[in-house]
Amino acid sequence: MSAMPTGEAGVQVLVPHWLASPERVQLATAVRAALGNPAVHPVAALHLEDVLTELHVAAARDAVWPASAARVRLATGWDADVLPVRLSVAELTAVLALCALPHGLRDRLCVAGA
Amino acid sequence: MSAFGPGSSAGLLQRLRPSRIDLADLLDVVSAVLPGLAGPQVRVELVRRPSAGSALLVEEDERTLRVDLADLADDMTRAGVAPTPDGMTAALHSWVAHRPVADASAAAAGIAVLDWADAARAAVGWRVVVRRGDLTLPWVPVPGTAPGQLAPTRSAAMGRSGEVELAFHVEGPVALWSHPSMPVLATTVLVAPERLLGRVTDAGLPVDDVHVVVTPHRPVACAGRSVAARLAGESSEASVTLPWERVADLPWL
Repeated sequence: MSAMPTGEAGVQVLVPHWLASPERVQLATAVRAALGNPAVHPVAALHLEDVLTELHVAAARDAVWPASAARVRLATGWDADVLPVRLSVAELTAVLALCALPHGLRDRLCVAGA
Repeated sequence: MSAFGPGSSAGLLQRLRPSRIDLADLLDVVSAVLPGLAGPQVRVELVRRPSAGSALLVEEDERTLRVDLADLADDMTRAGVAPTPDGMTAALHSWVAHRPVADASAAAAGIAVLDWADAARAAVGWRVVVRRGDLTLPWVPVPGTAPGQLAPTRSAAMGRSGEVELAFHVEGPVALWSHPSMPVLATTVLVAPERLLGRVTDAGLPVDDVHVVVTPHRPVACAGRSVAARLAGESSEASVTLPWERVADLPWL
């Protein structure tokens, strides 16, 4: 038995975006609002669903392995509620194109790896 | 953490320039605290050897741990133990507490958990651990012990694991089990995979292709295959992801 291949989520590069808790709430709210729009293309909707999943997974990842994010927070001085939300290019593109984001959050997401 | 306890976790400066534990001072402390180091089943003896130096001996049933006092002093120095009577006393108590687990203790109180199968941290297997105060220590069967003699202890440990109270938390599509004070016990949830699946069902999560993500000594995560892959694949930490049905097939270490 060995570690399982990363599968469908692993074939794409996921870039971390370090977001505080209020920013993650803003992102989730904006994504849900966009998903409520019937004009959103089904493929884009899947990407947006994956963004919602990642917001949960980011919190779960920090619950299981808190040390790595804690080291980054220690080095940067970021608050304890800042977590890496890892998004693919397709997911980020869907968010930026289809979601009504606060300016500050949009600016943060536009900076890769920020 | 060293065998001398969390109190010996020195800061960087102290690790770079540790205060030396003097052998004569350690001998004085051992002589003074020796009676308090022993327990009902634990014998602790200071063996004085004029030509070869003194040694500390700990015995519990069939298990024996023996260390030259000079080596113990060096180990304490490296671990950053404070060179004071109190520091050395605490380190000695911790060292005795880290003694090997005897067969009788494992049979009477062992708990089954998952642990790394090798140094590469690529696989996991079952291991019996015993709680000793704030510690959980592995039981290492004596090499050559017949499998039939190990089975009752392992079976009883599996039974006790099923009784360990764990915290259950749902984070979106991910179910998480953790232990509030002894992280190593989180994997006890996996002794009863069907019950694990029941909790996932009760939480309203999808039960198709459920996988578990295991890092020994960390909370256990459970989710669908793609979510589990996303969880584990984007972490720099070692973990093993496997279908829930395969947990029952994991080997004993």
